[in-house]
Amino acid sequence: MTPDLSLSPTVNEHLRAVAEAASSESLLAATRALVALCPTLPAHSDDQQAVISCLMELLATNNPGAAVAAVDGLIACGGAAVEPLLHNLDAHNYGARAWAVRALASIGDPRGLPVLEKAAGEDIGPSVRRAAARGLGNLTLADLEVSQRLRLQERCLKALEGTCRDGEWVVRYAAVVGVEQFLAEAPADLAQRAISSLERLQTPAAEEVPVVRLRARQALEAAATRPPGTNRP
Amino acid sequence: MDSPSAPGTPISEAEALQRLRQQEDASQRYYAAWWLGRMRSTHPDTVPLLLEALTDALAAASGDPDRLFVARNATRALGKLRAGEALAALQQALDHDDHGLRESAARSLGELGNPAALPRLMARLERPGAADPDGGGLRLQEPCEALIEALGELGARRPDDALVTLLQTFQDHPRPVIRSASARALLQITGDDRWAEPMLALLGAGQLQVRRAALMDLGACGWRPAAEALAGCLAENSLKLIALRGLVERPLGHDPGQPVDLGPEERRLLTLMDALL
Repeated sequence: MTPDLSLSPTVNEHLRAVAEAASSESLLAATRALVALCPTLPAHSDDQQAVISCLMELLATNNPGAAVAAVDGLIACGGAAVEPLLHNLDAHNYGARAWAVRALASIGDPRGLPVLEKAAGEDIGPSVRRAAARGLGNLTLADLEVSQRLRLQERCLKALEGTCRDGEWVVRYAAVVGVEQFLAEAPADLAQRAISSLERLQTPAAEEVPVVRLRARQALEAAATRPPGTNRP
Repeated sequence: MDSPSAPGTPISEAEALQRLRQQEDASQRYYAAWWLGRMRSTHPDTVPLLLEALTDALAAASGDPDRLFVARNATRALGKLRAGEALAALQQALDHDDHGLRESAARSLGELGNPAALPRLMARLERPGAADPDGGGLRLQEPCEALIEALGELGARRPDDALVTLLQTFQDHPRPVIRSASARALLQITGDDRWAEPMLALLGAGQLQVRRAALMDLGACGWRPAAEALAGCLAENSLKLIALRGLVERPLGHDPGQPVDLGPEERRLLTLMDALL
């Protein structure tokens, strides 16, 4: 692999190690080393862009260990990884798309909302719906102008209410965690709706899985000790 | 049925019952049997129809592939529905020629939770050569893993020295998955922490399939000291979440009839689960 002279020697060296990895073990080790660099890369630098492209390719390889590490790296790159992730969703590779949803769920950039909504409601994989449900409570909306923030919060809650009724317990569990996080910055009317969802999931009549009920109870306790919207800027 | 739909598409309970009743299309019956178990159907016709699908296969000359195909799913569904009235038929299925049917029957007997099934399950595992490979394939002559797991579930309700001795012999089995299953059953039955050790060691095994088995076995035991080791094991988060759910809902030694409270231990487990979403 020819070094790209616009990149730093360290990044070139790490990209080469990934490209030349001959076994799944060495690919995993090289990916982890590359991911460890991510927090140190200047935002929107050539180095960061090159690393993000490499991590995106790793999502599509059939190496779950490397994909898990690559998701961590993309999360560490934050907002700079969002456009490449959104673009990658066109790929006809279910596995890669699932990893991209996970990364977007953790980054919390509002541009990921349409993807999270669709994944939470329609994806066939429970682990993808699970990640999306958690991500719907995790969007960073504080920097937005008030009316836009309210519009997005309304959409998040609507999608979360859907995931609270998912057929898989693990998705409902993630929805409870998402709703709990959503409540931290929710305006009063939306907070009341969110609390109703949690209250329903706390009752054996509506929720058959004990661990989901316990988690809903814990979320309601948190909401009671920290009134909704207290983290709102 | 107005609009017959392909297996895999959502159907109603009435449609599932109708599909199981008809005799022409075995694949429709197969799907319906699965559906009724998965959806925890409580319709009064459900258990009798599933039971009939099983007893049909038991009465038929061995090797009627269509009947067997349906009976395996009916057997699994009877377990999921905890159909106590299926006890006799399920025990009879343990002695059927078909390996798959014996395996489903063993699992379902474990789910039924009636210790009356212990002697028949033990007898099957005590057969000479039971744990030897079946030909060149991956299967053992008996469905040992399923038999051992069922013995663990039922033995916890009625401890028995002969059962403990039998299960201990599987600690020397060449297959790690069988050693893990036997440690799981021994931990469930005796409550003795030392049986957690073989499973904890297998969480670090080289093969993913072995790590998965140890993960699920520790989760099924509800052995809470394993929580951090489960969360840190190299395996899919989906499986870790299922295992941790087991620790929360069915802690070892806890009366299954009593609900689990939200105490400091449970909060610690929930925090581990949250981090895996």
